[in-house]
Amino acid sequence: SLVIRGEKDEQAVLCSKDKTYDMKIADTSNMLLFIPGCKTPEQLKADPASCNIIHSQIAGFSNNYWELRRCRPKLRKLRKLLMEDPYKGPDSQKDQTSTFSQYTTEDLLSLIQASEEEILHELQVIDACKIEGYWRILEFDYEMKLLNHVTQLIDSESWSSNKVPLRTCLEELGSLEPTEMIEHILLSYGRKYTDAGEVYFEMHEDKICRAIAQMLLQNAVKFNLSEFQEVWQQSVPEGMTTKLDQLKGLALVDKNSRPETIFLLKVEDLPEDNQERFNSLFSIREKWTEVDITPYIQDLCAEKQTVGALLTKYARSSMQNGVKVYNSRRPIS
Amino acid sequence: KLSHLTRSTGAGGLAQWVLVELQGEVEPRQSGELAGSLLGDLHYTHEGIPVLIVGHHILYGKVVQLEKPFAVLVKQGAGEPGAEPLARYGVTALIKTKLLFKTRPKPIITNVPKKV
Repeated sequence: SLVIRGEKDEQAVLCSKDKTYDMKIADTSNMLLFIPGCKTPEQLKADPASCNIIHSQIAGFSNNYWELRRCRPKLRKLRKLLMEDPYKGPDSQKDQTSTFSQYTTEDLLSLIQASEEEILHELQVIDACKIEGYWRILEFDYEMKLLNHVTQLIDSESWSSNKVPLRTCLEELGSLEPTEMIEHILLSYGRKYTDAGEVYFEMHEDKICRAIAQMLLQNAVKFNLSEFQEVWQQSVPEGMTTKLDQLKGLALVDKNSRPETIFLLKVEDLPEDNQERFNSLFSIREKWTEVDITPYIQDLCAEKQTVGALLTKYARSSMQNGVKVYNSRRPIS
Repeated sequence: KLSHLTRSTGAGGLAQWVLVELQGEVEPRQSGELAGSLLGDLHYTHEGIPVLIVGHHILYGKVVQLEKPFAVLVKQGAGEPGAEPLARYGVTALIKTKLLFKTRPKPIITNVPKKV
């Protein structure tokens, strides 16, 4: 079955199990009559006996109808709802009376304008977890604390980061943090697999390096690029290599400043609407190369739409020092 | 907040309806109502061209297979607040074909005066 979702102040969408569609009313100046049981020429030809008059009733008429257009699921709200009350760990929970709303899967299904599969997939992407039946996002500092426990243990045990045993992690860290949280952080930052009956995790080097970069960058407006890169490499676990590529959609390098700088710019903090997103990007930086802007507009692409098509629609290109750059189509205040 | 669309239960598949698309408006002959009134006669020529006779006008149309079929929805269930939180729409029928009449209606002349 299909579901129409939306609150009173939102535009309705129609959702199947895994897709979301914008609903629009389409008007026509023509009159549309619906005739149940009306036969087409093919049907009449196939049945030569029906040469008599068939009395048909017009069931109704209309000059508008609902039109569906596949759209991006509206998932920003999901993140926003869960960020109302991020989980800070078992200790802090005792102090809090639940003045904040908490959301079960059913709650999310009725509040978020997306299909069930799209919602569940997004929950996985943002590393949400269910605590006492409610979906929660971890507060970043708590998340880093958990990650740090794991990376320190990997270091002290001299494990390969490709083969981190779940059982030992739970044994060693279980006294520090809830076992569900330890397992959750391993699932968020690693790939689970079994070998000879034991559960292991292959840690995601890129994701760990990226998280540590975020931790460093969120403490200042911007950093001297080379200083940052040095500190960053020293902060990641032994054996892992930092690369600026890991920071796509998280941070931006200013190659024009002397010295070169880097600052935090998270795509999830930017507007969801296409035009507003481009306005926001062009007010941050007047001219963008395709390489720099792509991570910040990739998520806007509709089914079968390319970044190039988006740029053609929302930006104007020019050449600068032999490189193609994009700027706004309209003046940005 | 949520509305469910489900296929109406019934024997066999969904009913197939046909759409007739007319330009302009249809008005009842006298100051009567549309409901219960006769619209006209629909014929098909041997070539399968639909012909609609409305009053003393004749319209020629064509059979069009809809690129995007329509689903006909009927609202079910209570609409009162507090009664049932979920509005339900049953899918009553599908429309995959339309008879499009967009040529100008021609008056049917039954009496052609002979040349003197």
